[in-house]
Amino acid sequence: MGLIQHDVIIIGAGVAGLTAGSILVEKGYNVALIAKGEPTACLSTGCIDICSLDHDPLHGVSHLPDEHPYHLVSRAVIRESIEKFKESMVQMGFPYTGSPESNRYVLSALGTFKTTCLVPSTMAAAPQDEKDDLHIITFSGLKDFYPSYITARRKNASFSTYDASASTTMGLATNFEREDFLEKFLSWLEKLNIQEGKIAFPAVLGLESAATITQKIEERLRCKVFEIPTIPPSMPGRRLFNALKDYFRKKGGMIYWSWPVSGVEKTKKIIEAVTTPSEGRPKSLNAKVFILASGSFVGGGLTARRDTIVENIFNLPVFVPGQRDNWFDSDYFSLNHGIGKAGIIVDSSFRPKEADWENVFVCGGILAHTDVLKNGCGHGMALATGYAVAASCMGYIK
Amino acid sequence: MINFEHCIRCTICVENCPVFRVNADFPGPKQAGPDAQRFRMEKEKSVDKWVLLCSQCKRCNMACPCGVYPAEIILQAQQRYGLQHPRTLAHLLFANNYYLSALGSLTAPVANKVASTKIGKKIFHAMGITTYIPFPKFSFKTMKNEKKKKSKAVKKVAFFYGCFINFYRPDIGRKIIRLLESFNVDVVLPEQWCCGLPALGNGNLAIARYFAQKNAASLSNYIDAGYDVVYTCTSCGLCLLHDYPGILEISLAKKITENTYDLHEYIIGLIDDGYIEPQFTKVKRKIAYHIPCHLRALGIGYPAAKIMAMIPGLEYEIFDDTCCGLNGSYGFKKTNEETAVQLGTRAVSLIKKTGAENIMADCGSCRMQLGGLSGMDALDPAEIICESLGITEGK
Repeated sequence: MGLIQHDVIIIGAGVAGLTAGSILVEKGYNVALIAKGEPTACLSTGCIDICSLDHDPLHGVSHLPDEHPYHLVSRAVIRESIEKFKESMVQMGFPYTGSPESNRYVLSALGTFKTTCLVPSTMAAAPQDEKDDLHIITFSGLKDFYPSYITARRKNASFSTYDASASTTMGLATNFEREDFLEKFLSWLEKLNIQEGKIAFPAVLGLESAATITQKIEERLRCKVFEIPTIPPSMPGRRLFNALKDYFRKKGGMIYWSWPVSGVEKTKKIIEAVTTPSEGRPKSLNAKVFILASGSFVGGGLTARRDTIVENIFNLPVFVPGQRDNWFDSDYFSLNHGIGKAGIIVDSSFRPKEADWENVFVCGGILAHTDVLKNGCGHGMALATGYAVAASCMGYIK
Repeated sequence: MINFEHCIRCTICVENCPVFRVNADFPGPKQAGPDAQRFRMEKEKSVDKWVLLCSQCKRCNMACPCGVYPAEIILQAQQRYGLQHPRTLAHLLFANNYYLSALGSLTAPVANKVASTKIGKKIFHAMGITTYIPFPKFSFKTMKNEKKKKSKAVKKVAFFYGCFINFYRPDIGRKIIRLLESFNVDVVLPEQWCCGLPALGNGNLAIARYFAQKNAASLSNYIDAGYDVVYTCTSCGLCLLHDYPGILEISLAKKITENTYDLHEYIIGLIDDGYIEPQFTKVKRKIAYHIPCHLRALGIGYPAAKIMAMIPGLEYEIFDDTCCGLNGSYGFKKTNEETAVQLGTRAVSLIKKTGAENIMADCGSCRMQLGGLSGMDALDPAEIICESLGITEGK
């Protein structure tokens, strides 16, 4: 292996990996990102949870157990990572609303409230209490969204159904990107003569231009409009992923898709290169530093065996929450599942503890003790640790 | 390869399926792939005609976080369906695209004229072939009559130029030869046939295997003599590297895959090895680089983009989220016309928003579609490299 191809190789195209990547690229480093598939961010609501334990998320962070990776970054870094994220999303035409000082709600498809912190501008007008009266629009044949769940919970809500000759979130979002469709839809909507103060949609208002489509509907109907996140295929999750990815690439980052890592070349304490199987000639990429941002179980970073848990790329030591019996609570909804703590324990510079490697840094969902569901820190934790890891990498390369 | 049980039904593949976006008749890669697979019984006749709506862009394979390859599951289902049901004329013709094109080239002056007339179009329509973009013009002079230059170069390339270059754009093929020669590379044109992909795409495993075996035998001889195989069409490349060892089960496949390179990947390799130091001169163009789905699927990154970054003055933006919709012969079939046009129009509208002057794509079929629908010039990356280095097809 001669020539060093890259300064940094990032494994994983999720929120953490793309955040770290964008920062490093902006600082002038030569960065490649490799991905086996697309990240679980695509399945998410697109909302950024920072910490749901307190109304003030940054205050909530102090309620977290000592081992939580949030404690490895300062409040200032969390704030900076959020500011940076908001800036980049504005540049990508997919702005977010909210600040790390206070949490807010989005209305779920079941009519309940979900606590989060930053929301896409298309969800900014979501009700924060029971007072707002809503009119919900749904689409005939759409299996993944039932407004009756919401109207059963909220007295002041009603709904209408539009036939958009598409019955999936993806098909509908594609239709909304077409001006002729939007125009036809708007004139139907106007004729409904909606009396309620706000109009709610399942999150299908376009893919590339959701923010402007929402705005257009608001201007035409002269009332507030907001989206309700759906189960996957989740358009807001995909918009978030697309925006992060396009931003990374716009800044000069290189992405290798179809690149599952099958092997690692190493000498002493240094990882030299990662290789991918490919049918014949093995392909390898080398770099000075590797960032592991491969996610947890669904993302493919970790695999649970019968009685242990393994990390799939570097075979790093994994924190396993005791015997298998402790992995899952008998009450499904309790959020006290031990498995949420599984992951990689890192030192203050985000290097894996008890591992031999000095040029590997870890961030995002694969970290140990995150308990993302319990602590309501999905995406926020990925942004903050991704941001911090970029700084650690720069320190190391220098 | 067929591990449909690993599917966790997350639907990321569905989000990535271009056909699913615009054609409600296609249930998407999750249902057509892993979901339906458990109902496909060995002894029962296949009933899932909708598998034919899959364009084999492979985007679902690339998106899956769980290592399921929906496109491969569907590809097998397509072959099974093709075998068990009478084939339409269009499917038969496109599976044999190689012979069709060879005939077209032999009679190019007449064939091109007929194809552009009203009657010609009517004949196409009657055969189930669309004409929303003009059928590509056959070239009378194919690659086969190229004379070989004598060379003592250390680096030796057997050029797999593919049907599109051979029958429609041999001028690009000749430029690529001149380009490689200018890098002090010995270029030969091995005896070659259609890679087999069109036959696979039209559910005709037997024809695909027939072509693949012939190619593998021919290329293998060159590899034994110290040649690297270089392809320029990314779909040919994917077929050689992915389908020869995969569904086509070609015995010489391992040798082929170990020694076969994308043209731009090969050039980058020459630069990295210090074999060449090309002096790129200014090219003043603003380009939308449409990444062919099959380049993405190759898992080699975007090597042409790396070269573009070395060319002074060249502005380019990468588009890899949009499928052009044509997918080789897929979009030329009347049954898929609407899907192809909708996807192509969407890709073009995103490109036009950027104010790009030209489109660039590694794949001839993407260029045909995007160029045809946009009215813009659609170029091969090799053409831009040649422009920057002052290389023409003549010398």
